[in-house]
Amino acid sequence: MTTYQFVTTAWTWNSILLTLGAVAFVGYFLAFGQRGRPLYFAAAIVLFLLAFISPFSVLANGYLFSAHMLQHILLVLIVPALLLLSLPRSFSLRPPLTYLTHPLIGWIAGVSAMWLWHAPTLCNAAATSRTVSAIQTTSLLIMGSVFWWQVLAPREAQRLSPPAGIVYLFTACAACSVLGIILTFAPVSICPVYQHPVDQLGILSTIRGSWGLTSDRDQQIGGLLMWVPMCAIYVTAILAQLARWHSSPQPEQSNA
Amino acid sequence: MQTSNALDPQSPQARAIYDLAIPSTIIFALIFVIVTGAIIYAILSFRGRAGEPDPKQIPGNRNVEIAWTIIPFLIVVLLLVMTLSAMNRADPPPAPSPDLVVTGHQFWWQVDYPGSRVITANEIHIPTGKPLSVRLESKDVLHEFWVPELTRKMSNVPGQPNHIWLQADKPGTYIGQCSEFCGTQHAWMRILVIAEEPSKFEEWQRAQLQPGQAPTSDSTAKGLALFQTSTCINCHAIRGVAGADLRVAPDLTHVGSRRQLAAGIIENTPANMRLWLKSPQHIKPGALMPDFNFTDEQLNQLSAYLSTLQ
Amino acid sequence: MNGTTTIAEFREAVLDPAKRRHYQLAWLSTVDHKRIAVLYMLTALVFFIIGGVEALFIRLQLAVPNNHFLQPDTFNQLFTMHGTTMIFLVVMPVVFGLANYVLPLQIGARDMAFPRLNAFGFWCVPFGGILLHFSVLAGGAPAVGWFAYAPLSETPYSSSPGVDYWAVAIFVLGIGSLSFAINTIATVISLRGPGMTMRRLPLFTWINFVNAFIIIFALPVLNAGLAMILIDRLLQGHFFLPFRGGSPVLWQHIFWAFGHPEVYILALPAFAIVSEIIPVFSRKPIFGYEFVAASSVAIAVLSLGVWGHHMFTVGMGRPLDVFFAISSMLIAIPTGVKVLNWTATMLGGRIRFDVPMLCCIAFLIQFLVAGLTGISHASVALDWQTKNSYFLVAHFHFVAVGAIVFAVIGAIQYWFPKMTGRMMSESLGRWTFWLMVIGFNMTFVIQHFLGLLGMPRRVFTYPDLPHWGWMNMLSTAGVFFMSASALILVWNLATSFFRGKGAGDNPWDAWTLEWATTSPPPHENFHALPPIRSRRPLWDLANPDRPDPIVGENSAAVTLPNHNKIGILSFILSETGFFGTLILAYLYFYGRPEAGPGPKELDVPRTLVFSVCLFASSFTFWRSEVALTKQRRGSMLGWLALTILLGGVFLVGQGTEYWKLFQTGVDLSTNMFSTSFFTLTGFHGLHVLLGLIALLIFLWLAWEGDFASDRRESAFKSVGYYWHFVDVVWVFVLLTVYILPLVQ
Repeated sequence: MTTYQFVTTAWTWNSILLTLGAVAFVGYFLAFGQRGRPLYFAAAIVLFLLAFISPFSVLANGYLFSAHMLQHILLVLIVPALLLLSLPRSFSLRPPLTYLTHPLIGWIAGVSAMWLWHAPTLCNAAATSRTVSAIQTTSLLIMGSVFWWQVLAPREAQRLSPPAGIVYLFTACAACSVLGIILTFAPVSICPVYQHPVDQLGILSTIRGSWGLTSDRDQQIGGLLMWVPMCAIYVTAILAQLARWHSSPQPEQSNA
Repeated sequence: MQTSNALDPQSPQARAIYDLAIPSTIIFALIFVIVTGAIIYAILSFRGRAGEPDPKQIPGNRNVEIAWTIIPFLIVVLLLVMTLSAMNRADPPPAPSPDLVVTGHQFWWQVDYPGSRVITANEIHIPTGKPLSVRLESKDVLHEFWVPELTRKMSNVPGQPNHIWLQADKPGTYIGQCSEFCGTQHAWMRILVIAEEPSKFEEWQRAQLQPGQAPTSDSTAKGLALFQTSTCINCHAIRGVAGADLRVAPDLTHVGSRRQLAAGIIENTPANMRLWLKSPQHIKPGALMPDFNFTDEQLNQLSAYLSTLQ
Repeated sequence: MNGTTTIAEFREAVLDPAKRRHYQLAWLSTVDHKRIAVLYMLTALVFFIIGGVEALFIRLQLAVPNNHFLQPDTFNQLFTMHGTTMIFLVVMPVVFGLANYVLPLQIGARDMAFPRLNAFGFWCVPFGGILLHFSVLAGGAPAVGWFAYAPLSETPYSSSPGVDYWAVAIFVLGIGSLSFAINTIATVISLRGPGMTMRRLPLFTWINFVNAFIIIFALPVLNAGLAMILIDRLLQGHFFLPFRGGSPVLWQHIFWAFGHPEVYILALPAFAIVSEIIPVFSRKPIFGYEFVAASSVAIAVLSLGVWGHHMFTVGMGRPLDVFFAISSMLIAIPTGVKVLNWTATMLGGRIRFDVPMLCCIAFLIQFLVAGLTGISHASVALDWQTKNSYFLVAHFHFVAVGAIVFAVIGAIQYWFPKMTGRMMSESLGRWTFWLMVIGFNMTFVIQHFLGLLGMPRRVFTYPDLPHWGWMNMLSTAGVFFMSASALILVWNLATSFFRGKGAGDNPWDAWTLEWATTSPPPHENFHALPPIRSRRPLWDLANPDRPDPIVGENSAAVTLPNHNKIGILSFILSETGFFGTLILAYLYFYGRPEAGPGPKELDVPRTLVFSVCLFASSFTFWRSEVALTKQRRGSMLGWLALTILLGGVFLVGQGTEYWKLFQTGVDLSTNMFSTSFFTLTGFHGLHVLLGLIALLIFLWLAWEGDFASDRRESAFKSVGYYWHFVDVVWVFVLLTVYILPLVQ
């Protein structure tokens, strides 16, 4: 199959996900009406669906470790951020969910979301079993949301102060970079199922041939994606924190 | 006179880099002119005089900041795209098996042609118009292979073979040098790439495959005897000489045919050959060839013999 | 104290033998940040002269082709020492010294947070410098280049101890730098004066504060690498020797993961200086304070992820080359934004062209060139021609000299009046400036072309190729101008100290707090602070009709974080880099199969038992802390003793594990697994031991009785953080070394 054929035909019509998406959209309006920011929510849903019905998801599901990594980044960092941004200012969590709003919990959630699912056995399981894959997706979304809560919660008072937020984001970036470094330089395959993909669509020769993606290179790129682009997202968030800090007329700590 | 001018590319690979360098330099020059122009404008137009009140205290301008963040970002994207294209043209994936293997040593280059089995040192002959896949290795420390007019530079890493492409459009002599500090005589680890028409290259190759010229005079015969008995064969190989097949040091089978000695530190003349043999440490202190304290007569014989190895 | 008292005092002290000793001792034992700062800068000056003489000899040798003025080995030692000296013994001390002097003043503090640590940090510099130079007497200075690539820096190829001295000296200097960084962070967070909120910090303080974080994250990586190369050289380890299973490229990764942030550690203080001087001499505030502040943070974060651009020719593979190219080009953007902000500050100003401003203008133009040639190196394909050539030498000298040295000269001329109460000579300053501009550009502009013509770096001589001769001669000629400039600067410093015009509190009509006190400041820095409502308190005082916009609000008194806590947390952050590097190195070799011992030699259940003891000691420490807050001395002592005991049991356990391995012939030199295993667990054990010593000290102090004070409590808590951290590291070591092989 050529690249063009692949891009135009490999879309998966996943009725479950599409229904869920529609339900979520309706549910959002029922819960918040006009008070929230629906565009962010729509963006979150659209990106989420694209990640799973576009040809990209075919690549992520069994062919390319790097595509799978991109999907992770979408599910942990981008979609949850958009979801949180779409919440109305009046939103607050009720106990016992408030336990999830401790910064340490948030940090551990965000970092372990990446680390856990790259343990070879778990990574393989998610790529081969649909149930595990569904668990993985759900857990990534939840853990990503818990992570971003510290920085993107609807109300200023629920968030970390900007300087603390910068330390939070930077250390998370460093922790994920370490994983990225390990993946990039590891001489063994971290997620063995991607070394020998089951070629259901007949696309493997194109991937290995005209795209030049051997399984070694694929893992390298996967590791690098976790490193550079992921950190770019964290750096953008850090800069946003700085912008927030400098524009707010907040009372500040001093020895006054 | 030979040059090693990176801005005078003589191969498609070097030209790919040059084709990137020119527009990049224009972009950089423009940026330099604009910003320096603004600085000079500021110096000329806003001189202060003593006693003057302070001017309007402008804290900044958000839109200007956004603009001059986005514009550099776009320039960077442009440069990246140009760079990627140049990288692919200058450095395509290597061939499955190399045409040339260049191994770095302290302080000389071993040159092997796997196809034809030619082995030589420091002087690389190639046919014009054909890209050659070169594998770079090292027997000791890091070295770096660089022939500016022909190709990118690439490290010789011990334990990790690297690959580049070597090609020359026209016949000529192209000079290069080791460019990763590798010890005392890093400065004299020069490379000569001699590109010839394919037919002339074949000729050279055929000559190189011949065993070393047997001695034809008394003097050169004594020279050969000295070679065999003075521990030279512990390091140097000469094909056709029994027992001389170690390659810790340059292969000497056709040493007389090379233009330079000791990786470019001296021209290859019989007189220089003699000087070298008299005291390598005097010419290239730190080279791994020790002084042998030959007598004058021995020097005459040995240098005569080696010079006949054309 | 005002200016005349300093000079009279000095004269008196020098002439009266009794006073002389006391005065000397006062300086040798000082913990006052102002004196420490002067010591830093004077030390830097001494090494600047040494490094400059080394450069002079280098250029003399290179003035003509095929020169035999110097032996090749001498030349190689000279350029190694020149680079190492200039970076570690000149630029770092001088920028640390400047920050040491100015930063506490700018935030309205009495001193740095940890004055004794400050002194310790300074004394690491002369000690490290002497260690490094002692190598000359002990078999020869190192001759491997300032970044000491393996395998050349390994014993088979560098058998004299020069490299060992180099490694240990830089290790010591690194500890000193870390001390300074920890001090800076704790000072800025915990010791700000009333009204000095973080957003009102002068850019000089803010940028040095951000810089401290780069130091925290980068220096430990170097320390790990130095430990590894010393283990290779002295204990027959294998980290970087390919024929024993090691990897020379790994050294490059580790070194440059430190080395690239290092150049930003050198450059950011220059940005800090320029951000302070340009506004004052343009008579306007900095254009876009928030953007300059934010871009400094962006540079700091990004600087940790660009190191691969030093390795584009090593063969990392196309994906890595591309990613490092992307990150390296991205970092150009915040840097460029800064240059534009500085330029925009000048536009619309009323510029006074005193020497500090002249230096900043030269800085702007020269740094612009440096930045542009830097971007050319970020472009991988261009780097494939220019790296390791004189083009690169030109680039980094444009940064180090064209930008940093010029900024420092400007800073000296700017803050000298504050430090001594006297102005430096403006005309001598101009001579210094112009001679340096001429000399610097004469030497380094032409080197760009030399590099493009194919001249590689680090060559002790070169053949007579077209143009190489006259270009090198021109480059050498510039050195004489630069030397003259340096000599005039020293002369200026000396004569101005004794005969300079009186300066008064605020000779430049500047706006930050250091100018709100006498020149030099009294011992406690301020008699009284002006009201601080904006970024320029003195502007507000002098211009009540058009004060600066108020930044943030003053809140009711809120306690700032305790400086002990911030200090220890900063230290812990730095340790993550150290252990992170060692763990990653372990993992690097773990994936590569080799003969000999492996994780299977380890007795996991036994180690788990000892680990439980270590983890339990965290619990017991916490109980001890709780007892302390409740003032129950006996309970506190008991739990603390138990903590120490448990920690000791862990160490004994580790010791027995080591003993067992040694008995079966497994030691540091056996294979890659053993080298990386002993290194990682050994350093962890060392940290446990150091923690135990700290705990024992506290046990003794508590036993002696004086434990009621607040300070002691916060210090105790801080040691607690360290102790828990050591546990956390062990969790990772346990998982990586002991558990991972079992679950694979």
